[in-house]
Amino acid sequence: MSVLTRREILKLGGAATAAGLAFPVVLRAQPKEIPMLGLWSFTGAFSDVGPVLDRGMKMALEERGMKIQGKTIKYITRDDETKAGSATRRAEEAIDADGVKYIIGPWSSGVALAVSEVAKRKKTFHYFSGGTEDISGARCHRYSFQWAASPYTAAKTVVDNFMQANPKAKRWHLLVADYAFGWSVEKYIKEVGKGHGIEFVGADRHPLGEREFSNYVTKAAGNKPDVVAMINFGLDAVTGAREIFNFGLTPKVPLILTWSSGVEELVQLNPEIRENMWVGSNFYYTADTPVAREFVKSYQAKFGNPPGYAPAAAYGMTRMMLHAMDKAKSTEVPDVIKACEGLEVDDLVGRMKVDPKTHQTLRPYFFMRCKKKEAMKNAMDFADIIATGSTPLPAEYAACKDIGSL
Amino acid sequence: MSKAWLAIVAAVVLLPVFVRQAIATEIWIFAIFGLGLNLLMGYTGLLSFGQATFFGSGAYVAGYLLKYYGVNVFLALGVGIVVGAVLAAAVGYLCVQRSGLYFIMLTFALNQMFYFTAYQWTTVTGGEDGMPGIPRPSVLGFDIHRPLAYYSAVAVLFLLSLWVMKCIVDSPLGKILQAIRENELRAEALGYNVPRMKLAAFVVGGAFSGLAGVLYAMLFGIVPLESIGFVFSGNVVFATLIGGSGSLYGPVIGSFVFIWLSESVSSMWARWPLLLGVAFVIVVLFFRGGVVEAWARFWIWRAVRRAPDAVQADASR
Amino acid sequence: MNVPLLFSQILNGLATGMLYALMGIGLSIITGVLNIPNFAHGALFALGAYFLYTLIQLTGNFWLALLLAPLGVGLLGVLIEYGGIRPLYKAGHDYQLLLTFGLSLIVTESIIIVWSPVGMSQLPPPILRGGVDLGITFYPKYRLFVMVSAALLVLGAWLFLEKTRYGAIMRAGIEDKEMVALLGIDIHRLFTAAFALGCVLAGIAGALTAPIRGLNPWMGVDMLGIAFVVVALAGLGNLLGSIVAGLLVGLAQSLVALVWPEASVAVIFAVMAAVLLVRPQGLFGIR
Repeated sequence: MSVLTRREILKLGGAATAAGLAFPVVLRAQPKEIPMLGLWSFTGAFSDVGPVLDRGMKMALEERGMKIQGKTIKYITRDDETKAGSATRRAEEAIDADGVKYIIGPWSSGVALAVSEVAKRKKTFHYFSGGTEDISGARCHRYSFQWAASPYTAAKTVVDNFMQANPKAKRWHLLVADYAFGWSVEKYIKEVGKGHGIEFVGADRHPLGEREFSNYVTKAAGNKPDVVAMINFGLDAVTGAREIFNFGLTPKVPLILTWSSGVEELVQLNPEIRENMWVGSNFYYTADTPVAREFVKSYQAKFGNPPGYAPAAAYGMTRMMLHAMDKAKSTEVPDVIKACEGLEVDDLVGRMKVDPKTHQTLRPYFFMRCKKKEAMKNAMDFADIIATGSTPLPAEYAACKDIGSL
Repeated sequence: MSKAWLAIVAAVVLLPVFVRQAIATEIWIFAIFGLGLNLLMGYTGLLSFGQATFFGSGAYVAGYLLKYYGVNVFLALGVGIVVGAVLAAAVGYLCVQRSGLYFIMLTFALNQMFYFTAYQWTTVTGGEDGMPGIPRPSVLGFDIHRPLAYYSAVAVLFLLSLWVMKCIVDSPLGKILQAIRENELRAEALGYNVPRMKLAAFVVGGAFSGLAGVLYAMLFGIVPLESIGFVFSGNVVFATLIGGSGSLYGPVIGSFVFIWLSESVSSMWARWPLLLGVAFVIVVLFFRGGVVEAWARFWIWRAVRRAPDAVQADASR
Repeated sequence: MNVPLLFSQILNGLATGMLYALMGIGLSIITGVLNIPNFAHGALFALGAYFLYTLIQLTGNFWLALLLAPLGVGLLGVLIEYGGIRPLYKAGHDYQLLLTFGLSLIVTESIIIVWSPVGMSQLPPPILRGGVDLGITFYPKYRLFVMVSAALLVLGAWLFLEKTRYGAIMRAGIEDKEMVALLGIDIHRLFTAAFALGCVLAGIAGALTAPIRGLNPWMGVDMLGIAFVVVALAGLGNLLGSIVAGLLVGLAQSLVALVWPEASVAVIFAVMAAVLLVRPQGLFGIR
């Protein structure tokens, strides 16, 4: 999946060298242009999502003909290399050298925290699609917004709906990524679980990037749970799911992926591993809203396969940003921020509202059940959505006490 | 000699005109890092593959103090230097007892240990997310937030470091280290305490690395995990090699080439580490002396071409 | 103490330990004979896994793939040694080492280009799926297979080196290259063979690991550091030592993971540092 053809590289190479050597003057965007930055990963651990995130944002911008309020949108992308350091550098470069005032991305939560700092320091509008609570919590500030559902919403949707489908599964074993985000979700699952009379027979934390899950699986099996719920993501989730299957725990015992990116993770497993897997996600391509249906249709027509969470998130965030600009009737950052606070629209996943106090987007979260191999209509038909939930984080848990000033 | 200095000062003054200030600053920071490594690699003949240990540790400790305790910038720089030196003393003590292969492998493996510690100790280092939010306190009342202001500060420190390194290299210690590189047994026979000299080189190298680390942390306001990883260690080795490890100025040239190349190429092609690897292989196979040697060879070639008779006459004398 | 858990952990430790031993032996041969720490060893491990994956896609036969994948890596090793390392004999070990470092970048990036940056899964062959009831605990069949086959390979490597003529030549090459050359043996051929053998072992380790850990382009990075630790612990060129050290490291990792999971990787390096402080020649090296 290479990003550029050789000819393009040569052309770019020639142009870049000439530009770099011959233009000491920094090029700034013309006043009739709005530069927007898509900060995606094209190298590093999440390099597979960079190109599809790019697609999503581009689609949302192209819907507007690359124009907003009479000004041309200049869409640029930068590679964050899935690293906090590189993201910081590239974002600052885009702001200083290209006049960027709007940043969408990055993909990874950890990197996002660094970018959020840059947004605060440089007073740029920033929308982010990951789950870390800090952006709308302890490290909240006026410039960053969060698109993914709150981990509380996710936990409630997953637990409530799983228990509805499996009322007898009272013994839960949790496998949690040892990370602030993991701890939050774990806390909420236990809270919600209490209401269902769930007994948490075990809860193990594994370091991020763990490859050796065998220990955790044996411990889980030893507790004889009715269900194993994993709170992790990406390669950790995939590796964990695979090990749990290798040890024969699944498919006998159902496995829940509480916070999954959906397609991106499921595609890395096999149908055998996915059997009896229940998945919570911020987006799945069978979502039944007008915007989603249109988006999935166009995406499928353009690229041949349905969109995963990544392009949908990029698409969704860009749309929210554009809605805010519409509401503000301006493209100045302070106006757009104020318009975004309290913005309420029916968009990609249903009714979406931005909480002005925390900058968290309140919106539905999806819960799916994976299909057996025989039931799959095609190679990408991983699961069915069986429920959605949108209970927001209760105010007493909100860590964002004062979102500050512009 | 002073021609080289003139060239470098000119480069320092002119660079921000041609290159973005943040990149220019990064080049000099990396050059300081390279100077430290080259004392070990070029002058003592010790290929240390774990210099990021000191760079990163200096960055983390100083960064932590800057962020949570708001220390002043001189203290931060001092801490970076001291942390780099102290850790290098500890690591060096373990490593210099062995030579050649073992030394290299040990520096690498210990680097890994520090890396994994930083990776897992998320409460302090932030783990994979790094440590963002590092402030840039003012220097003696001067605000260095603007990119050009910070560049100037770093450039001054670089010139200072270069001068210090020159003094070290020209000093008796420098000569002894080179003697060790040429023939360790003979140096020992001459009565020099070779392990202790090596350790000294290690400590100095670590101090320079630590300083570079602090400056790096303040440059982007973040200490990324990579700054303590072995890729970073490999990068500084590569940059020094490219420039020419046999000379004092090699790391400076190498830093310039490496940073400029990596910044421009990486924004064009996602798979640029492949080009880096290929460049690495090519340099190692064909251009071992780096830019410095290639440059020297070029001048000799020109001289021979221009006046072959004169050279023949010289040779036959 | 939870006995079934402890038992599984010990088994896990032995399984990973066997893989570490394989990596250690391979690296030990290369460092012993050629005198360079092969920084590409991790990348070659990863390549073994990817070759296995593709061969299974092509032939549908796990066993055939398991046989051919390491040979593919070995072949690449021959090319690397002949084209890259040999020209650098005169330049010195540092440059050969740097070459392997550059190669590791090339191999890893090539994996991303040829296959994909996304992780992939590889199921074990059908007869090795699922688990067995060992009485004390339930354990995956495939892991038992890895343990046994790695042990056999390690034994095979040891027998080759100890009991055959070629093995003796290789061991002699580790001890004293000059003498070997003086005895009329083609030293260049020896180097190529040693490097290729090391690569084959890395490739096998990678291929065996694929169904356990899946495939991703950076799967060799952690392995490299651990392989270095094993070799340093064992004492350079000490093959029996590599086996014991590999097992020790594997066991240490899985047992520490029981009580202090975050430190389970860093602890390995700390142990190495501690051992080298007390016994710089490694546990089994002679000084």
